[in-house]
Amino acid sequence: MNTIEDKEGVKRYMLSLTVNGDPHTVVVKANTTLSQVLRNELALTGTKQGCELGDCGSCTVLMDGKPVNSCMVLALEAEGHEVTTIEGVAEGAKLSDLQESFVNHGAVQCGYCSPGMVLSAKALLKRNPHPTELEVREAISGNLCRCTGYVHIVEAILAVSEGRTTPPEETNAGGEA
Amino acid sequence: MGTFNKVVGVDGVRRDTVDKLTGKERFSGDYKIPGALALAIARSSEAHALIKNIDLTKAKALPGVVRVFTAEDVPGENSYGIIPITKDQPMLAAGKVRFKGEAVALVAAESLEVAREAAALIEVEYEPLKASFTPEEALADGAEAIHDKGNLCFEHDSLMGDPDKAFAEAAVIVEDTYTTSAIEHSYMEPESGFAVMEDGVVVVTVSTQNPHYDHADLCRLLGLEEDKVRVKQATTGGGFGGKLDLSVHSYVALATLLTGRPSRLAYTREESFAASAKRHSFTIKYRTAADAEGNLLAVDAELVADTGAYASYGVAVAMRAAVHAAGPYMVPNSRVYSRAVYTNHVFSGAMRGFGVPQVALAHESQMEKIAAKLGMDPIELRLKNALKPGDKTITGQVLGDSVGIRECLEKIKAVRDEWGAAKGDDDGVRGIGVGAMLYGIGNTGVSNPSTAQIRVNKEGGVTLYTGCADIGQGSDHVLLGICAETLGLAREDIALVRADTMLTTNAGATSASRQTYISGNAVKAAAEMFIAKAVEAAAKVSGSAASELCFTGTAVKGPDGELSLLEIAESLRAEGRELEGEGYFDPETVPLDHHTGQGKPYSTYGFAAQLTLVHVDKATAEVRVEKLFAVHDIGKAIYPQGVIGQISGGSAMGVGLALMEEFDHTSDKNFDTYLIPTVLDVPDVEASFIEHAEPTGPYGAKGVGEPALIPTAPAIVNAIADAVGVRITSLPANLERVHSALQLMGGK
Repeated sequence: MNTIEDKEGVKRYMLSLTVNGDPHTVVVKANTTLSQVLRNELALTGTKQGCELGDCGSCTVLMDGKPVNSCMVLALEAEGHEVTTIEGVAEGAKLSDLQESFVNHGAVQCGYCSPGMVLSAKALLKRNPHPTELEVREAISGNLCRCTGYVHIVEAILAVSEGRTTPPEETNAGGEA
Repeated sequence: MGTFNKVVGVDGVRRDTVDKLTGKERFSGDYKIPGALALAIARSSEAHALIKNIDLTKAKALPGVVRVFTAEDVPGENSYGIIPITKDQPMLAAGKVRFKGEAVALVAAESLEVAREAAALIEVEYEPLKASFTPEEALADGAEAIHDKGNLCFEHDSLMGDPDKAFAEAAVIVEDTYTTSAIEHSYMEPESGFAVMEDGVVVVTVSTQNPHYDHADLCRLLGLEEDKVRVKQATTGGGFGGKLDLSVHSYVALATLLTGRPSRLAYTREESFAASAKRHSFTIKYRTAADAEGNLLAVDAELVADTGAYASYGVAVAMRAAVHAAGPYMVPNSRVYSRAVYTNHVFSGAMRGFGVPQVALAHESQMEKIAAKLGMDPIELRLKNALKPGDKTITGQVLGDSVGIRECLEKIKAVRDEWGAAKGDDDGVRGIGVGAMLYGIGNTGVSNPSTAQIRVNKEGGVTLYTGCADIGQGSDHVLLGICAETLGLAREDIALVRADTMLTTNAGATSASRQTYISGNAVKAAAEMFIAKAVEAAAKVSGSAASELCFTGTAVKGPDGELSLLEIAESLRAEGRELEGEGYFDPETVPLDHHTGQGKPYSTYGFAAQLTLVHVDKATAEVRVEKLFAVHDIGKAIYPQGVIGQISGGSAMGVGLALMEEFDHTSDKNFDTYLIPTVLDVPDVEASFIEHAEPTGPYGAKGVGEPALIPTAPAIVNAIADAVGVRITSLPANLERVHSALQLMGGK
């Protein structure tokens, strides 16, 4: 890996990685995190920062298909790897089934956890297309959400595993006029 | 109910969701601001101390530092706070610090690294003062005064009937003391914002629940006229009451005003924990009297809340807790004394429920104890005492028509019987519990209006202008729904301008579960005026009688054809008028009497009951909520999926309040030690609602944001008691508390 030293003697590294299919080379310091690279260097601000301690999951991205807390991954660890961020989930203007299902289930409130949730769920369904509810819950248990109580999120993910992106008709609770 | 145009009551798709799911939505921290100064705050290491000296020499000498600010640099009045009578908080400490983590100095630098390094180089010389960390310590003789006025921030008395006589004549009296903990809001997005100068105006874009309040206090702090400050609400990553106070706003505004350069600041999670409001911890002494048939006769409650170093919403919390002290029941005699007390903790403020979740623990535990004493079914006892239309609350308010608590309880009862039959009583570690509540919609006993406008836009469509901050709960979707319903359009037909103090008028805070009811009414009134104005103008142009004309949403149709909104707007413009509907709504309230607490604090109330099934592991004392069934009387669901979302999210927060969350002021810095519910900690909530239409509500709607949370913790505590026979009176019912309660019981 190419390195340069700045005028204070701090070493900088030329990092090469693939993000959402596109190759990138950026200059980073040894302590730069992957989330900082994504947000500050590549302007992929869909990756959120909530605790910078690996506890909230807002910064979840996929590295070679596996979910990681990008605040806990040093940028240099991503050298040569393939990273998927929320910006790389839809195909152009067409939402993925997961995104579509999140929309239809009302699984988004403030939206700060949503990118991480979608990516954790995407990784789950890739390795296990028909998870049980408990497996869904385990897969997103590293992603905190303070708004939704997770109910609509779990339903949205399970729906996709059943080949749907909309809630079944009869689930509409309550509401007799 | 009247006929609906198919928008109200139909979910539709929120216009923010796709962008939030593709990473396109921009929160304030996601903007690129060329040339922005990075800010960092030097915070107090002491809980209570006089500032003898602040040495900025080293910080200023650091290359890259642009300027360092202290209290002396604040151009206006260095005091702010939401409640007009308690604006007691400085943006930068002036001569004294009152909690550990209080802002003392502000650094503006060319990079965040430099700003943080410089902040760490600021040397503050303190003369420590005796600190108080509980209301008891703060009120004790010899306690150091935290503020000039002393340590009692606020007290509120309420008296109805003759409670002493009622207690003397009661067949049953139950009594206990309940405590609840401080809680961190834990919105996923920490506080964040930025400021830029635009034509001599400081423009602040910020994560907030109340842009118009922010604007007023920023003008006060900066000493600027109203038209020199503009606040724009950025997409906000949750609030729950914690983004009602000023946070980064004043710092970015000050730095930009005094340097002329853009500036930005995002709190770290540690900073957010240290310097943002917490839920008030409460101590509640509670006595209840009932007759032999289970009719409640009297309540006598004393509430003490730790409001921390600054008042914030302390007054509102202490007052609302008192008003709701008896729960959703008819209680003819009552005495409630409520206090908010200053301590040297970080300030407490608004958090989902404003003191009502705390008192709900008490009144719902008391109901169980009375039921046990009388050998009654606890739900039957509640039904017997549940408020009905025409009943009086403990503030003497006669309730109107929308009082759905009995129906909520009936539904809960049916499910309880189902669960009970399924559970059996073979293993003895599962239990079922109920919690019920009422919640006043809007601010307590004060005018709290909202306003809205609807105008024709250049494309000939309509634009809704509202000051209401959508903090993720979906108020945009609700207000657009009400607007669309009234105008005969679809939500998608309407453009929205929201929460920008230059373009919209005050809608009040997104708090107190008030925006659907209050701003919803303002939007509906604006739409109705818009239609009336359009029809009136069209009548004039066409020469038809107004009664022959029909508003179609995009035009006015008459016997001789139709006029588009643009054509109508043009004809009005010729007269110097605009095609605009203006709406205003202020709920009818009567201020509470200072001595008796009597009055009409709210014009309507939400009601709810929840049921939980818990499993208690007797060996580890772990409590798991296996099922949660919720029924909420919300008046009318404008956006049903959003209502269910609120109840599900509120219940999860209630699980945290009940079982997990207890903010430790000395050790909790981040989510590694302060644990909020993950998806594995909460059940699959079965949320439902009933619609007892509120005659004064927009299409009958009330509110649901806070009610969602309130019954959950009592329902869990009561289920634990049902499962293992121990009553937890201090929240959270964590492993330690449940374990020691089980030990105590085992020892008997």
